[in-house]
Amino acid sequence: MNLPITWNDVLALGPIAVVFGGTLLLVVLESIVRKASPLMFWVTVGVLAVAAGCALATIGVAGTAFGGTVLTGGYASYFALVFSAGALLVTLLSPAYLLKRATAFTEYYILLLAAVTGMMVMAASNDLVVFFLGLETMSVAFYVLAGFTRQSVTSNESAMKYFLLGAFATGFLLYGMALVYGTLGSTSIAMLRSSAAAHAGEPLFLVGLGLLLVGFVFKVAAVPFHMWVPDVYEGAPTMVSGLMSTGGKSAAFAAFLLVFGADVLQSAAPIREVMAVLAALSMIVGNILAISQTSVKRMLAYSSVAHAGYILTGVIAANADGANGVMFYLLAYTLMNVGAFGVLSILETASVENVRIDDLAGLSRTRPWLAGLMALFMFSLTGIPPFAGFFGKYYVFTGAIGAGYTWLAIVGVIMSVVSAYYYLRLVVVMYFQEGSPDQVGTATGIGLASLVLPAIALLALGLLPSTIVNLTMQCF
Amino acid sequence: METFDIVFYIFATLTIVSAFVVVFTKNIMYAAFSLLFTFIGVAALYVLLHADFLAVTQILIYVGGILVLLLFGVMLTNNVVSVDIKTGTLNTIPALVAAAVIVGSLAAVFYMTWSTVGEPATAPTATTRAIGELLMTGYALPFEVASVVLLAALIGAALMARRTRKP
Repeated sequence: MNLPITWNDVLALGPIAVVFGGTLLLVVLESIVRKASPLMFWVTVGVLAVAAGCALATIGVAGTAFGGTVLTGGYASYFALVFSAGALLVTLLSPAYLLKRATAFTEYYILLLAAVTGMMVMAASNDLVVFFLGLETMSVAFYVLAGFTRQSVTSNESAMKYFLLGAFATGFLLYGMALVYGTLGSTSIAMLRSSAAAHAGEPLFLVGLGLLLVGFVFKVAAVPFHMWVPDVYEGAPTMVSGLMSTGGKSAAFAAFLLVFGADVLQSAAPIREVMAVLAALSMIVGNILAISQTSVKRMLAYSSVAHAGYILTGVIAANADGANGVMFYLLAYTLMNVGAFGVLSILETASVENVRIDDLAGLSRTRPWLAGLMALFMFSLTGIPPFAGFFGKYYVFTGAIGAGYTWLAIVGVIMSVVSAYYYLRLVVVMYFQEGSPDQVGTATGIGLASLVLPAIALLALGLLPSTIVNLTMQCF
Repeated sequence: METFDIVFYIFATLTIVSAFVVVFTKNIMYAAFSLLFTFIGVAALYVLLHADFLAVTQILIYVGGILVLLLFGVMLTNNVVSVDIKTGTLNTIPALVAAAVIVGSLAAVFYMTWSTVGEPATAPTATTRAIGELLMTGYALPFEVASVVLLAALIGAALMARRTRKP
């Protein structure tokens, strides 16, 4: 093979090139500018905004670059938009939170942009090697970010647990890739999808796919590899948990949808059945365990397991409705979950690291804005119209019914009703229980603005879902 | 028995015997040094399989990197060299099950017909040059992304290991 790499390849990367360039720029800035913290914050915001704009501009022109190893435009750009939007909100909410934890170190922004680079590479990968390196970039940055508040024991526990289990899951993923490469003779994901039917009967291929599935299920935090989720989300700095549960999950699902595309699932029937059982278990286990939680972060962690189950339903559907549903759902989930973690990060104080549900009693009187926004995010997470969360569920379940997985859609709907209990209980506690939450923090102007933005977006997406669906339709 | 077979059995014995020493010795330094012979034995097996690049990488990374790191770790940690490490047996029944599964699958591989791979039709050539060319052409992007992983890991390690400081 003799492929000259030209500048066109680099330009075609678009948002990936912007964020990677931004990471390097921050490394340089940190070493030459004294007291670089405010400057680095604004540069990070700028880089992510430019990346989002770049993603939006390139969404209509799908193609490949670097000899077909990476996707450009279309699908990749859509997810680049999701990641930059999520990371932008997280960045805006971070400085106030990091000051409370006394860890406002400048490396935070470098690692955050490195993680976003990894996510974008994952969603753009057309080759298993590229996907793996994107995953590692994201994971390494997250391992460090999870332990960013070094003096906190729970943060150390979170980082250690995430690192050890993550490395273990990576081993499964890599072994699966080796076996798939052994059967196909190629690491290309496009080739994996097109030749899956011809190799579907080979045990080695199925074992390889099964091992890949283990790795993916760990990374999207679905049952049975969900044990790390509550401890990691609870211990990590709150905004990092916000990014892990949205950007990290979306990136893993973006690659999941690429590798386990419609062709692969339709020919590898046993894998599809296993995935259906795992999706149902995720919805059941996640929702039922979330009911009994007293800490808001742990509740959101189990709810994230349940949402992984809903989204997995859309992957299993293996049709256009399901795929559109997954893409829409991930955007909506990113907005509402970053919002929920954002409210928590504002309510936490230097002494109260972990907000319990009872701490929120009477919040509607002392912090009416925060309570209102939190209620909105909770309604959207439950899937109550007119918020975007409803249409996410609607599309993935429609896809599942179209593919003949009606039972999975029924489980999903029943479990959504169960989830209403713990999401709405939070609203009831905030609005109808007596209490004096004086120990909670107050929002800064930037903090409140970056919560109002996703709230407006959720409402807009819920009222006009077709704007996004028209975008996602172009990606296939 | 040809020369090839003799060489194979010499290195296979070296690998297995040194691996046994790693598992059963009570002295951590002996274990670390016999691990060296296990790695070299495996590298030699790669050479016999015509995987020249893999063999060199095995020696560079495992012998040159990981093993040296391990030895430094042992030497720089107080009271590790003199302490006997535990080599007793725990969880006998799960271990037996796991061992039975592994032995069973190895036996299946050994006795099934698809385990015997014939000699390649054309004589294998050196792979290092081809791998190098691919890294600069078809796999240029993964090669570059690997540098981001290393950058993030370096910054992370420096951050984690640094003394406590004020922001």
